[in-house]
Amino acid sequence: MMNNAINSLDKVDLLIVGSGAAASIIAAKAAQAGKQVLMLEAGPERSNKDLVSSQLWARRLKWGGSPVEEEGNLKIGHGFNAGWGTGGSSMHHYGVWPRLHANDFKIKSLYGKGKDWPIDYEDLRPFYDRVQSEVGISGDEKLEKWRPEGAAYPMPGLPVFKQGELIARGFTALGRDTAPIPLAVNSQPYKGRNPCNYDGWCDAGCPTGALANAQTVYLPQAKVAKANIIHRATVTRILTNQKGDKVVGVEYCDEAGQSHKQMADVVVLAAFAVENPRLLLASATQAQPQGLANSSGLVGKYLMTHPAGNIYGLFKEATQPYYGATGGQLINQDNYDDKAARKGAFGGYQWLIANALKPNGLLGIANTRPDIYGPKLDAFMKQAAKHMATMVFVGDDLPLAENRVELSPNKDKYGVPLAKVIHNVQAETDLMCQHAVEEGKAVFKAAGAEQVWSGPRVGMHILGGTIMGTSRDNSVTNRYGQCHDIPNLFIAGTGLFPSSGAVNPTFSLHALGLQAVEYLLSEWAGIV
Amino acid sequence: MNTTRRKFLKSSSLVLSFAVGGKTFLLSPAEAYAQSVPLAVLNESDATTLEVLAEAIVPGARVAGIRNFIDSQLSADSENSLLMIRYLGVPAPFAGFYTAALRSAEKLAKTRHQKHIAALNSEELSQIIDDMAQGKVKDWQGPPAEFFFFVLRSDAADIVYGTLDGFERLDIPYMPHIKPEQSW
Repeated sequence: MMNNAINSLDKVDLLIVGSGAAASIIAAKAAQAGKQVLMLEAGPERSNKDLVSSQLWARRLKWGGSPVEEEGNLKIGHGFNAGWGTGGSSMHHYGVWPRLHANDFKIKSLYGKGKDWPIDYEDLRPFYDRVQSEVGISGDEKLEKWRPEGAAYPMPGLPVFKQGELIARGFTALGRDTAPIPLAVNSQPYKGRNPCNYDGWCDAGCPTGALANAQTVYLPQAKVAKANIIHRATVTRILTNQKGDKVVGVEYCDEAGQSHKQMADVVVLAAFAVENPRLLLASATQAQPQGLANSSGLVGKYLMTHPAGNIYGLFKEATQPYYGATGGQLINQDNYDDKAARKGAFGGYQWLIANALKPNGLLGIANTRPDIYGPKLDAFMKQAAKHMATMVFVGDDLPLAENRVELSPNKDKYGVPLAKVIHNVQAETDLMCQHAVEEGKAVFKAAGAEQVWSGPRVGMHILGGTIMGTSRDNSVTNRYGQCHDIPNLFIAGTGLFPSSGAVNPTFSLHALGLQAVEYLLSEWAGIV
Repeated sequence: MNTTRRKFLKSSSLVLSFAVGGKTFLLSPAEAYAQSVPLAVLNESDATTLEVLAEAIVPGARVAGIRNFIDSQLSADSENSLLMIRYLGVPAPFAGFYTAALRSAEKLAKTRHQKHIAALNSEELSQIIDDMAQGKVKDWQGPPAEFFFFVLRSDAADIVYGTLDGFERLDIPYMPHIKPEQSW
C-alpha cells in the first residue's frame, strides 16, 4: 500500500480522470473555452508510433491496471474491452459509429423493461451531427435505411471487398438489405487526416490517423489549448468537503508511489464503466458511507455488456478476409427496432458484416475453430486464411440492477478495494441471441458457404453502472452526467447509459460528452 | 543497420529482448530457440512439456520458439506482457498458471503410461490432448485443463501464424500500417 506523505498541488479548473474518448472531447472543449484542464491517466504515455501492426504487440493497449474480478453467465470481459495508456480504449476500438435509435431511449415506456433515458433521440441528434462533422464518419445514409434522421455523412462509405460482397449475396437472397457500416474511419482525406488503406489492423491501433480515436482528434486539440495529461497517475480517492456535497479534488499515486492531492473546481470521472463506480464506492466518507454520489444506492448497478457472437463460413470463392476494417464492411439492422418481435425474447440486434480477420488473437482465425489441433489445424488455417468470412451480431442487454460493480474484499497495491463485477443475462436475452445465430447461419447458407458455424457468446462493450436519469430516486446523474448529490462532480462515458441499445457506443458517448461539456461551461459559475 | 522493408516488418512483428550471459539481445523467439538461449522462469522439465504439447497442438510451435516466447513473457511485468492470458481474467503473475498445468500434464502422462510426456508416442499424446481439450482429466491441478488447452493453443498460434513468417506460411499479405509521419 502506497502511503507516503501527500504532496498537495495547485488547484486546476477542471480535473478529468482518464484520457480516453469521453475525457478527450470534454478536455478539448473546456480548454478551448479557457479552462485550465488536467487529465490524470493511470496508464503509460503512448503515441501513434507505439501502435505496431501486430496482434501480439496490440495487447499492450488492453487494460493493465488493477485486476477486475468477474462473475456471471456473460462476463463483461473487462481486460479485453478496457484500454490502458493515452487515449484509453479508444486506441483499440474499431471505429464502428452507428447512432442509437429513438426507441433505445424509451424501453421502459415502450416495452415495460429496464430504464428510460432522461433524454430522447431528438435531444441528442444535434450533438451527433456536430461530432460527426468534427470527427468525420464514412457511410451511406441513403442505403442505411434503419438510420435515425440526421445530417448526411461527410464521407462516402468505405469500399466493400470480396468477403462483404459474398455475405451481402446471402442477405439479398433472403430479401434483406445491407449498407456500408458507418465508420469513424476516413474513406478520403478529412481535416488533415489520411484515408484508410484497408489493412485490417484497426484493433492494433491505427497510427495513420485514418481511424478516429482520442489521439487523432480531440487530444491534439486539447493539447493545443494547453490542457495537460499526467501519465502513470492512478487516482485512489475522490476528495470532498466535510458535508460531502462538493468535491474538492482527488488523491492519486504516481509511478514512484508518491501520493498527491490535486485540487480542482470541477472533477469529471471518465475512467470507464467499471473504474468510475469503483472510485465512487471506494471514496466513501462519514458523510456518505455508502460511497460518493450514491444516495440512490445505484452506483455500480445496471451494468451492461452487449451480448455478441460471430457466424463463420468457408466459401469456395476467395474471400480476401485480410482486407477492410476490423469493425466490418457492411451493416444490417432489420431486427433492431422491434425489440419485442421475437416470442419469448427481448432485444434488438444488428449485424456487423465482413470483419477483417487476422490469423491469431482472441478473435483471429485460429480461435474460430478451437476444437481443431495438430496437422488438421494447419490445413484449416491455410484454407480459412483465404476463404473464410464472418459477421457478428450485437444485441441489447437488458438493464438489471443485480448486474453490478461492487467492491471486493481484495485490494490493489494502493490499498483500494478491487472492483468485483457480476453480470448475468436473462432467458429473454438468451432467446434473442439464439434467434440471431439461427438467422446468421441462414444468411451464410444463402450466400453459398460450404461450411457454416457459430462462435461463443461474448460480452462486447461495457455500459451502465453510473446511469443518468431524472432524479436521485432513479439514477446517479442527470442528463449531463452531473451527479445529483454532488453538483461539481460529473461522470462521462458509457457508464451513463441507462439502457444499452444494440449499437457500438463510442459515437453516442461523444455526443453525450459534447452535450455535457457545453452545459458545464454555460453553467460554470453556478456549479463551482 | 539494415533498414530494408523486410527487416522493418520483421522487427515490427516479433523481436523480443533475451538475456544471455548478462547481456541483452534482440532476437525472435525462433532465433532464441535456435541459439538455446537460457530460460529465465521455466525449468527445463516444464519447458519440455510446454513445447511437446504446443508442437502437437500447433505444428511448428517448437522451432518458432514457443519455450522462449512463453518464458520471456512470463519474466515481463503483466502490463507489458504479450500473452493473450493478460485479458482473459487471470490475475498476474501468470507463471503459476502455466507451471501448474504443465506439471499436471506431465503427471497425467506418467500415471497413464509410466513415461515422461516427451516420450509418448503420437497416439498416446493425442489422447491426452483430446482429454485436456474436453476437460476429461483426473487429478488435474491448476487452471481447468480445457482452458489451459485453449490458452496454450492460442499462444502457439501467435508465434506460428501471427508473425510475418506466419503470414508468409499462410500466403497472405501482412500489410502493416503506414509509418506515422508525426505523433500528436
